[in-house]
Amino acid sequence: MSEGIGASVKRKEDRKFLTGKGRYTDDINRPGQVHAHFLRSDVAHANIKSINTKAASAAAGVVAVYTGEDIDVGGPICGWVVPNRDGSATHEPPHPLLAKGKVRFVGDAVAVVIAESLQQAKSASELVEVEYEELPAVVDLETASAGAEIHEGMAENRYFDWELGDEEATDKALKSASRVVKLTVRNNRLVPNPMEPRAALAEYDDLNDSYTLYTTSQSPHLTRLVLAAFMFQIPESKIRVVAPDVGGGFGAKIYVYVEEAVCTWASKKIKRPIKWTADRTQAFLTDAHGRDHINNVQLALDSNNKIIGLRVDTLANLGGYLSAFAVAVPTYLHGTLLSGLYDIPAIYTNVKGYATTTTPVDAYRGAGRPEATYLLERVIDQAAREVGMDQAEFRRLNFIPKDAFPYQTAVALQYDTGDYEPALDKAMEMIDYKNFESRRSEASKRGKYRGIGVSSYIEACGIAPSAVAGALGGRVGGWESASVRVDPTGTITVTTGAHSHGQGHATTFAQIVTEKLGVPNSSVELVHGDSDRSPFGMGTYGSRSLAVGGVAISKALDKVIEKSKKIAAHLMEASADDVEFKEGKFTVSGTDKETAFGEVALAAYVPHNYPLETLEPGLEETAFYDPMNFTYPAGTHIAEVEVDPTTGVVEIVDWAACDDFGNLINPMIVEGQVHGGIAQGIGQALLENAHYDENGQLLTASYMDYCMPRADDLPSFKVECTNTPCTHNDLGVKGCGEAGAIASPPALINAIINALSPLGVSDMSMPATPETVWRAIQNAQARAAE
Amino acid sequence: MYSTKIVKAENSSAAVQAIGSSKEGKILAGGMTLIPTLKQRLANPDCLIDISGCGLEGVEDKGSSVRIGAMTKHAAVAESSLVAKAIPALADLAGGIGDRQVRNRGTLGGSVANNDPAACYPSAVMALDGTVHTNKRDISADDFFKGMFETALEEDEVIEAVSFKKPEKACYMKFPNPASRYAMVGVFVAKFSDGVRVAVTGAGEEGVFRHSDLESALSSNFSEEAVSGVEVSSDGLMSDIHASADYRANLIGEMTKRAVSS
Amino acid sequence: MEIKESYDLPLPIETVWQALNDEGFLKNSIPGCEKLERISPNELSAEVKLKIGPMSTRFKGKVNLSDLNPPNGYTISGSGTGGIAGAASGSAKVSLSKMEDGEGTILSYQVKAEVKGKIAQLGSRLIHSTAKKLAKKFFSNFVQELAK
Ligand SMILES: Cc1cc2nc3c(=O)[nH]c(=O)nc-3n(C[C@H](O)[C@H](O)[C@H](O)COP(=O)(O)OP(=O)(O)OC[C@H]3O[C@@H](n4cnc5c(N)ncnc54)[C@H](O)[C@@H]3O)c2cc1C
Repeated sequence: MSEGIGASVKRKEDRKFLTGKGRYTDDINRPGQVHAHFLRSDVAHANIKSINTKAASAAAGVVAVYTGEDIDVGGPICGWVVPNRDGSATHEPPHPLLAKGKVRFVGDAVAVVIAESLQQAKSASELVEVEYEELPAVVDLETASAGAEIHEGMAENRYFDWELGDEEATDKALKSASRVVKLTVRNNRLVPNPMEPRAALAEYDDLNDSYTLYTTSQSPHLTRLVLAAFMFQIPESKIRVVAPDVGGGFGAKIYVYVEEAVCTWASKKIKRPIKWTADRTQAFLTDAHGRDHINNVQLALDSNNKIIGLRVDTLANLGGYLSAFAVAVPTYLHGTLLSGLYDIPAIYTNVKGYATTTTPVDAYRGAGRPEATYLLERVIDQAAREVGMDQAEFRRLNFIPKDAFPYQTAVALQYDTGDYEPALDKAMEMIDYKNFESRRSEASKRGKYRGIGVSSYIEACGIAPSAVAGALGGRVGGWESASVRVDPTGTITVTTGAHSHGQGHATTFAQIVTEKLGVPNSSVELVHGDSDRSPFGMGTYGSRSLAVGGVAISKALDKVIEKSKKIAAHLMEASADDVEFKEGKFTVSGTDKETAFGEVALAAYVPHNYPLETLEPGLEETAFYDPMNFTYPAGTHIAEVEVDPTTGVVEIVDWAACDDFGNLINPMIVEGQVHGGIAQGIGQALLENAHYDENGQLLTASYMDYCMPRADDLPSFKVECTNTPCTHNDLGVKGCGEAGAIASPPALINAIINALSPLGVSDMSMPATPETVWRAIQNAQARAAE
Repeated sequence: MYSTKIVKAENSSAAVQAIGSSKEGKILAGGMTLIPTLKQRLANPDCLIDISGCGLEGVEDKGSSVRIGAMTKHAAVAESSLVAKAIPALADLAGGIGDRQVRNRGTLGGSVANNDPAACYPSAVMALDGTVHTNKRDISADDFFKGMFETALEEDEVIEAVSFKKPEKACYMKFPNPASRYAMVGVFVAKFSDGVRVAVTGAGEEGVFRHSDLESALSSNFSEEAVSGVEVSSDGLMSDIHASADYRANLIGEMTKRAVSS
Repeated sequence: MEIKESYDLPLPIETVWQALNDEGFLKNSIPGCEKLERISPNELSAEVKLKIGPMSTRFKGKVNLSDLNPPNGYTISGSGTGGIAGAASGSAKVSLSKMEDGEGTILSYQVKAEVKGKIAQLGSRLIHSTAKKLAKKFFSNFVQELAK
């Protein structure tokens, strides 16, 4: 079937987006609407001595001005906590909706001014007088523990101190190793930069004492849950959260931020709809940032170059407040991935999460897994170099063998399936690995250093089996819901708790329906993003939409088919056991009887001839699906670069990606996801960096200084797939949303190091800007001259 | 943006008059620099004087020089066959400014008046021994640029056009800032019968400047080797989060070599 | 960021020191200074208009004189807020010493500057050059005023 599973169906949603007809939060207007503007702290760390809002309140057009003292509801909560090594709990300091007594990062919201127009709100906010008593900023992660106290009573600015794995066995491996490879890497801080900035439009309904919030959310149900149950403490049914078209999220739109909550809270106070849309500077300052780790890595090898142990000590910068999943990212989404694709008998990791007076840090495309992959693939590469083995062959030697699955890692996860060599082989073939050296020497004739870098990665997707998440400190479930409503005419409406903000769900999910029910794509409508219209759902993050949400749809479809078979059996006067359903037709085996799906649908709603005594009329089913395990996409990316030693500019000349995502529903969309992921990974490795000065000022708060990857920074990617279907979900799918961002940074940095290794360069930090690369070359040349 | 008023001037003297009768009037050309500043509320002019109707657009061949109207868009200069023939390096420079949208709004006059230390055009004006024509006078390039964001322009002075001398040979080499794509270092090398002029943008703390060591080396020997023989000092060069003064000094040498050998 | 520079002045050290403590001199020296009023012996309130390219902002704040060591130098520091633009502060440690000929004075200074808010977020590339430029302007204005 050309529109079913495996077909590269063009994206249904693109027409509206490409013609500028998307309907985003800021496009929605409500009668009587007013505008909110947040006054933000210009200083990183200070006590608030006083706030005077008198003049602002009296300014033209102003409806209300609120500060932290006016707010009588709770602030954002932490969705995941971990135990400390000493058995105590994660420190969860309060995060007020508007700063109370203290500000903890530049951009911290101090007051909100609500006015008839946005310009009036902005003008009035200039009249709010805030008197600060400045405190020392805490910016540097390595010395954060010795910095000024950020949260009252939180010793050494540490939110948590967590460990995983067997320390004794790992230290023993390190002691008995014939070689210990040591490396310290820093995972640079990134700003997520979805194309659409965050926005909220909150409206209070006085008659029902209920709220409607239109907002830029990846998980509208979670937003409702957090707002109702934890912040406002009102019945959940009193809030409706709608996430209309959302222009990208990359993780940053999972959480409930203060602005959305303040608008909702204030909409009841003033009884008028309130709109707020972040401008780009506010997005830079307040969207949760990503990454920002320092990892100390030690890898133990035996005399046969087999890995026998790995120890990773990590410092994670979590910023001024603890964001919803900030704790999970460096721990369970990071520590558990440290085995990578490798058979490592002993692993131990300790992670310390610190507060600094910077923007909170949370999940960003890949969340923890890119950091794990980066340190691992860097140290593996260094190990190969140290022992004088080819980088690909060293990996192959240490891969978990194909016959070892299911494979229990030393860090809690059990990989259900995998086969890593074919992806490595294919990527090597795609990039013509074996002839690389001749390309290197050809480039050197042109004065360029050419290098090739490998990165073999694994990720745990489909977050998560609820029981596992719960056992590990998660405070939410990991399931997803779907309902399939068959209309009397046989058209289908699917509602899902997953949320599309660029992923193409309307297309992919329709393909599942087409495959299973034999109806054309055009007969399938997807409803998502509205807490009032779909059953409770968990939203989209962690490459889970298909692996969890898609499987839930598949399960609801199975229920529809099961019931349809009974109806068809009745219509064809056969036993349900003898009815087969294929390509939209019901047949009775051994006969020529058949009836179409549409006729069954009609019979369900016009039950003139229907087994009403044993079967309800109607055809609508709901399924909730909680996976048994994570899914484990894996693969190999290989980057080839040329470095210009006169300027340090790195040109990416080729890129081969071979990924195992299990079964593919829509290969074109998968390829697009891989492209986008690689682009973001290249951004991290070469271009992007959130730069704070020593006073905690974010110096890269616009595109003048924060460098996003652009098309002309990127080569044409070669993307292929291998397939070992996931063993524990109905569709055999694994998830592909984050793979590119996870795999690509180490491939690129390894390629740069490989290019410069003839000069003696063995380390390179991210982002590898022209000056960074140029300096490495200068230093290496100076060392060689000594 | 604070509210303000816009006046559309019909010629440059009307524009000057409008400035005179406002408290803090500002000329609005392409708006590519001014409007973002206003949107950030970093300036609060009481009046904007739109000079798009002043007839200041166009390219003219003046024999030994090319005269370009202040309101000529970057895209128009990039696409002008006259410029491409007379001073191809200038067309290249214009075609490399910002992106398509910026090139279709931003103007020569705006760029020169603003004198951003990382802007491209000032280097061309300097290296091509240009003259800035205002409603009051003609100002030579060497007298026009007065340090970063500063020019010889007076409050009531409007740039009407800029003339560029035709060189024997010229080339502009830009090393873009990866984020903004402005010049992190841009070097404009122009060879005339009586010597070589080298102007550097993006690098100097005082904005665009002529590099006398490079000029004299290239005037006696127009070659890459001559450039290699010059030790480019980092004194007076900018250091920021994107590039240190040392690195900028290296880029000045490299970009000059490329300009010479192209 | 730190910036150092020095000037040779053909004036006795006492004259230079007096000028450094005179608000009239200071007002004419601080670039863009529109208002400078002494509110206590070592504290002045100030209003400064700063124009950098298309940006034009008025800063309101204070100027403090500290570490007074007549006539050998002091630290002059200023800090001000420019409303929506953010805040800026800077200090200059000024040292005066007699020239070897015994008649002139060497004025040297060391400047530290810091910006906050929007100007830091949007103008980081210009912070260093601007601080250097303003410091230079202050002292060159000062020297010019003295020469009058
Ligand atoms: C995304 C982006 C990328 C860019 N990249 C580059 C780049 O790579 N290289 C580069 O050189 N530039 C770059 N620019 C700047 C661009 O060239 C601007 O167009 C230019 O700096 C200002 O020209 P404008 O016509 O837009 O002037 P405006 O913004 O309208 O005005 C700028 C200033 O000049 C004054 N002014 C304008 N015209 C006159 C006149 N005729 N007489 C007197 N005063 C006048 C105005 O009052 C104002 O103060 C970029 C801009 C953007 C937004």
